[in-house]
Order: sequence, then C-alpha cells, then structure tokens
Amino acid sequence: MIEVDRISKTFRHRKRKGKAPHQKDKREDGKLFYAVRNVTFRAEAGTILGLLGPNGAGKTTLLRMLSTALKPSEGTARFDGVDVVERPLDVRRRIGFLSDNTGLYGRLTAREMIEYYGKLHGLEQAKIDKRMDELFSLLEMTAFADKRNESLSSGMKQKVSIARTLIHDPEVIIFDEPTTGLDVAAAEAILNFIESCKVKGKTVLFCTHHMHEVDRLCDFVVVLHKGRLCFEGSIEQMRSDTGQTHLDKAFLTLIDSSEVNHAA
Amino acid sequence: MRLNILTIYLKEMKEVLRDRKTLIFMVALPTLVVPVLMNIMIGFIVRAEKKAQTEILTFAIFGAEHLPDLANAFSEEKGFEKVNLLTQEAIASAIEENKIKFGLVIPQTAREQIERDEQVAVRFYYNNASATSKVKNRAGKVIREFSERYRSERLAGLGLDTPQEQEHLLNPITIEEHNTANMREVLGERVGGILPYMFIIFCFMGAMYPAIDLGAGEKERGTLETLLLAPIRRYQIVLGKFFVIFTTGVTAALLCLTSFGVMLAVKVQEITGELGEVIASVSVVDLVLIAAMLIPTAAMFAAVLLSVSIYAKSFKEASAYCGPLNFLAIVPAFIAMLPMVKLDWYWAMVPVTNISLAIKELIKGTMNYEMFIAILGSSVVIAGAFLFFCSRWFEREAVLFRQ
Repeated sequence: MIEVDRISKTFRHRKRKGKAPHQKDKREDGKLFYAVRNVTFRAEAGTILGLLGPNGAGKTTLLRMLSTALKPSEGTARFDGVDVVERPLDVRRRIGFLSDNTGLYGRLTAREMIEYYGKLHGLEQAKIDKRMDELFSLLEMTAFADKRNESLSSGMKQKVSIARTLIHDPEVIIFDEPTTGLDVAAAEAILNFIESCKVKGKTVLFCTHHMHEVDRLCDFVVVLHKGRLCFEGSIEQMRSDTGQTHLDKAFLTLIDSSEVNHAA
Repeated sequence: MRLNILTIYLKEMKEVLRDRKTLIFMVALPTLVVPVLMNIMIGFIVRAEKKAQTEILTFAIFGAEHLPDLANAFSEEKGFEKVNLLTQEAIASAIEENKIKFGLVIPQTAREQIERDEQVAVRFYYNNASATSKVKNRAGKVIREFSERYRSERLAGLGLDTPQEQEHLLNPITIEEHNTANMREVLGERVGGILPYMFIIFCFMGAMYPAIDLGAGEKERGTLETLLLAPIRRYQIVLGKFFVIFTTGVTAALLCLTSFGVMLAVKVQEITGELGEVIASVSVVDLVLIAAMLIPTAAMFAAVLLSVSIYAKSFKEASAYCGPLNFLAIVPAFIAMLPMVKLDWYWAMVPVTNISLAIKELIKGTMNYEMFIAILGSSVVIAGAFLFFCSRWFEREAVLFRQ
C-alpha cells in the first residue's frame, strides 16, 4: 500500500530579471518554487493507480520523492507503513522503479547488469540466479541475455530495464511512462506485464500521458497540475465529474478547471 | 557496507576495462608510447651527434699561400674537403647554399706577423644556427693545434723547453675542481624534472576519462538514477566509483614508471662507464618510494575529477570542465622543472609541486626523508579532504539532479 501524506517539494528558484508581476508563477512563494505542494493520496495493495498530469505538473518530482531519490521538503510518504524520510533504504528494498529515460550499462550484458542490481539489493547469488531464470523466461529474454546492452533494440532494452526493476521482487512498482518510444508490440508486452503485476497482488503506480493505457489498466487515478492534486478517484468518477465520455477530454477538462482555480 | 563498495567497484572496473578509450589512456599510452617516443628521440639525437662528428666538412680557404702550413693541416686531417670559390665575398652565400660548411680567410700579413712573434687573426665563417653542429669544434681543433705548435716553438725560444715549464708560464694558477655533486645528482638535476612531470600527467590522464564516464556519463545515460534507488548509501556509491578512478590513475602512472624502470634496466646493460653506474644506482627502493608518492596524487585527482564530473549534466559538459582542470596538474608539475625551484619546507607545502620535487630528489638520490614523510602525509590528508568533499557533494540534490 502507498500512502502519500501532504507531501511537498520546494526548490530555490533563480531570479529572472524583468519578469512582470502578472507573469509570476503561482507556484512561486518568495524565494521558493513549489514543484509539488501538499499532495495527499493513497493506493491499496493489488491495485493500479494512474498518475496523470501535463508536462511540468510535478509528476517526476513526486515520483523521485516516492522513490527516495529526492527528500520531501514537507510531508512524507509510506510504503506498507515504511516511511520514505525515516527509512529510505527499507523503502528502496520494497519498491521497483521503471522509467522511460532510465538507461542501461551499454558495456555490460543484460545478465551482468541484472545480477549487479541483485547484489546491490543484498540478494544471495543462488537467489539471483533463480530470479534471473524466472524473469528471463517471463520476459522472453533468454536469447539476448548474454548480449551487451549496447547492441539491443529498444524493446529488448526495455525488457532488461523491467528485469532490473523486478530482480528483488518488490511489493510496489512505479512505472514512469514505460511505453514511451516503443513500437506497438513492445508497448503491448509492457502493458500485459503491468496487468500481471496486479494479478500477483503488487501495488502499481503508473504514470503516463496515454489515456487509453489509463483506461485499460488503472483502478484509480490522481491528476497533478502545477504541483497540486486536482483530482483523485476512479476512472468512472473522472468521467462523471467532468461530463466527458472520452478520457482524453475528461483529463483536459480537469486541467482547464484547475487552471481557472489557480487563476482565481 | 564493504560488499556494496566492492560490488560497485568490480562492476565499474569491468565496464572500464571494456572501454577502448580508457584502455588507451590507462595502459597503451603510458606503457608503450612514452618509451617508444623516448627511444626515437634518443636515437635521433645520437644519430645527429654521430653524423655531426663524422660527416665530411667542405670548406673554402683564402690566403692559404700566406700560411701554407695551416692549409696543409686541414688537408692532412680526415673529414675535411677543400672547395674552390671565386671570391671571398662568395663565402657567406656558399655556406647559406650548403656548398661549404665553413670558410677561412688568412690575412696577407700572416707570415710577417708569425715571424715577428705577433698574433695572427684568421677569419672563420660558419653557420651556428644548428644545435647539433660540430663545425666550430672540429675546425677550431685543427686551428688550435696549429696555434699551439707555434706557441710551443715561441716558448722554447724563450728557454722554456719542456711542456711542463710552458704550462707553468701560461697558467700560473689553475683550478683543481672537487665537485661535491656526484654524477647521479648532476644527471638527476638535469633530467629528473621531466620524469615526475610525465608521471603526474599520466596519473591525471588515466583518471580523467573514467571519471567523466562514471559521473556525468552515468547521469547522461540515465543509469545514475537507478543506482541511487538501490538500497545502498550514497557515500558507498562515491567510494566504489572513487576507487575505480583512483585505480585507473595510479595504474597509468605506475605503468609509466614501470616502463621507465624496464628501460633503465635495459639501458644499464648497454651503457658502460659512469653513466651506466648512475643508472644502476637508481634502486628498486627508489622506484617504490616514487610509486608511493604517486598513490596520494592519484587519489587527489580521482576525488577532484569525480566531484567535477558528477556536477556536470553531460559527458560534453564534464569534458569542458576537465580540460582546463588539466592545468591544475600541469602547472604545479611544471613548476618543479624550473631551475630555481628546489625542495624546501616552503615548496613541500605546495600540493602536486611537492610530489614532483620529491620524485626529482628521489631520482637524484638526495631525498630528505623527513620531508618525504611530511609530503606523503600531507598529500594523503589533502586526498582524504577532497574525498570527503566529494562524498558530501554527492549527497546534494542540486548536484545530482541539476537542471
């Protein structure tokens, strides 16, 4: 289970000369810039929660805080009761994080790289070997497991990234735009895999811009806009609240109304 | 904890050793290129020297009839060949066009001046631009011998028959030199500056590319973020990476040192006499002490380079920072090559320069071992301070996720 509790992240922003007062971003507060402000939501075990928002909404910052790469300025988050601020190492043992822009070590083979992350997670060699066999079979990676990552196709690379994310069998998996840049077949394989995670009782936080993926996978969604939470609920609720049947339009309606609220 | 550092170290080393660029800077350049270049350079100098000593020197002489003995002295000497020119004025252009190597003009009054026991000024034309030219030495030797013959005759005419009596008259006081510097010290002073310079440069170069790859390169590829999400502390990541960069830097420097050691061992068999003895007097202990000096140097460079690299957003940006950083290694190492800079307690406090000067002293065989320990100790402390800074630097979100 994921519990996000009034979490905020501020950065000191650079002074920009000649900026008119009306151009000032609502997220600026004195010398601070709120990339994420006072966000609260929760995701139950065995569900897929969609995290939506336009570019610059603060999704990446939020995910970085949840994955302990960044420390929250205020508030906190808990994974099965384990606090990201107090016990970041324990949180990292519980989560797997997959992003479209996480790279691979080109001069290592897929097997070497996954074994490396297994060791960093403190797994015994026998367990790493067993887990690699399972993952290679599940993701159909056996044919290229011993090839250097630099020689793999985009789809193969994404499979290696997934195996790297799952080597320690995490309870919570965070997917940050995992299908970006993939062809239809590779994207379909990823989506099927995310569905299988839910079946296995894993908690999934799924961040994407593709509404058809949200429609297909997510039980609940949260929508971020300009660092603030502007919607939390089920897909049906998102449609009914906005009066839109298409999820794309429902999303845009939410963003527009949030924009109006910001301006007010 | 140690296992995590070791895991990161082994993985990074595996990647580094699979990278051709790193292997070139870490292994190929220091091991092969420097000794090869030095051999080529030494061979070139030796050949040029030999050629200058043995080549036939063509010359023109005017006024030979006024002092035929001198003209004959050149004819009798091996390695000289007379060329006829039309006029004296043609001497300069003939030298310029390489038709002759030198020209002599004997004055008309030469015979009378000799008979009157006066001094004869023979004009000697030559081109002194070439550093390896031996024209003046070889031609001058013939003229000097000729002059000494007349001088001896004149002194005999004064009743000084024996060469000893003549010598006592010409040089009533002589200087009996007792040089306290031995041959090793003299050679060490002359060539000892360039060696630490090369060791330090290779130490830096060997560390630079892996540092860029392990910091900014990992950031650019997007693998740093996945590493930060592993359940390990950030200082362990820093230490794992630091030891890899340190290993490559120290390996490059030690390979350079080893190849010099091997060269010395080979040359000592070829070179006989005092020079051979000097080379033989550079012991294995000296080389080990030089190696000891290079270890904190590599650690300093590794920590600084990793700090810079981790700050950069991309490989390109890191390269742009590390280029000028080269001067931080080159300038202090170069200072030690300046003739007025000697190792004293003042210079012993200047990082990198002190290492360079200490290596020079070790080569000369004149190391003050109290100073050696102080330099080694202070360098280790500085390297530790840089590493501590690097570790704290790596904790900063503004550095790791710089926009």
